[in-house]
Amino acid sequence: MEEWTIILIRSVIMFLIIVTFLRFIGRKQTSQMTYSDFVIGIVLGSTATLISFNVIKNLALGLIGFTAWVVLLVVLNYLSLKSKWFHDLFHGRETILIKHGKVLEDNLKEVKYTGEELLSQLRRKNIFNIADVEFAVMEANGEVSAMLKSEQTPITPKHLEWQVAANAEPQTVILDGNIMDEALRNQGLNRQWLQIELEKTGISIENVFIGQVDANGDLYVDLFDDAIQIPKPTTKELLYATLKKCEADLELYALSTNQPEVKKKYQDGATELSEVLQSLRIKLKR
Amino acid sequence: MTVGSQVKQTSASLKGVKATLDIYSAQSVTEEDRKLFETNSEKIERVITMLEQRISNLEFEEPQYKGL
Repeated sequence: MEEWTIILIRSVIMFLIIVTFLRFIGRKQTSQMTYSDFVIGIVLGSTATLISFNVIKNLALGLIGFTAWVVLLVVLNYLSLKSKWFHDLFHGRETILIKHGKVLEDNLKEVKYTGEELLSQLRRKNIFNIADVEFAVMEANGEVSAMLKSEQTPITPKHLEWQVAANAEPQTVILDGNIMDEALRNQGLNRQWLQIELEKTGISIENVFIGQVDANGDLYVDLFDDAIQIPKPTTKELLYATLKKCEADLELYALSTNQPEVKKKYQDGATELSEVLQSLRIKLKR
Repeated sequence: MTVGSQVKQTSASLKGVKATLDIYSAQSVTEEDRKLFETNSEKIERVITMLEQRISNLEFEEPQYKGL
């Protein structure tokens, strides 16, 4: 057999093997890989290359070596999953670097970090004052996670004791111009609803590139033609504003009439509307 | 004396509001939401009724505003 056919066949074989293998070990981003994962990955990659380019002449030997590494990696991952002790042995434990706002220098030395490197890592998390940090830990893969002091944490609705409507994930119902029926079903809608909503905004379905429905049932579309501007769905704000206006009108009428029973009627109406506004505020405004 | 046409406008706006609330009530996912919209829709219904009464009184007192 000619040299180039050998290489071609081997390359195809190794490619298929690697792709299947990658599906097998699962997904972990490069930044979350431990050092050992990284090195083993390099070994496997190099071995595959050597086999593929016929540097390792004997295919059987090459594959045996490759498989051995793969099996060992799989075993390592499995044991790490099953036993905490084993996991700590190979992947390392997290080290606390800052506790109660104080830097633990001994731990810092343990992970071989200088103060400068610690500050640099914190800056990467947008923390410029070490005074703001309550707790910081170095993860097994070397990344530093920091928790801010409670005064420094951003305000959440809970802090203000505000009631907010629950947040649900938006469903993408049109993608690349295709209608996703399953996404529509998840929201309890169907194609007809979609047609009606699009008619309301005066856009035909062929023009839509991406369409999303949020938890409130508002449809947002992005068109193929970027020159056209679509008004944002404002039904809720409009509703709130209309109610406010009507309440104000009623109060005005109450003021402009002289007859006391009529006055009272208008005022009662205004009070009812203000109650409605209060109770719907959560749903309509936030 | 309140002008009849203005009261009619307010009544019409409120009818629109009630209609939207009814749509939301029909579209809502949780029972809690549905009840919320329904209760408020009823409240608005009462206000609309009161306004309608007022309108008919006004039309009686000032026949030039009748119609529509």
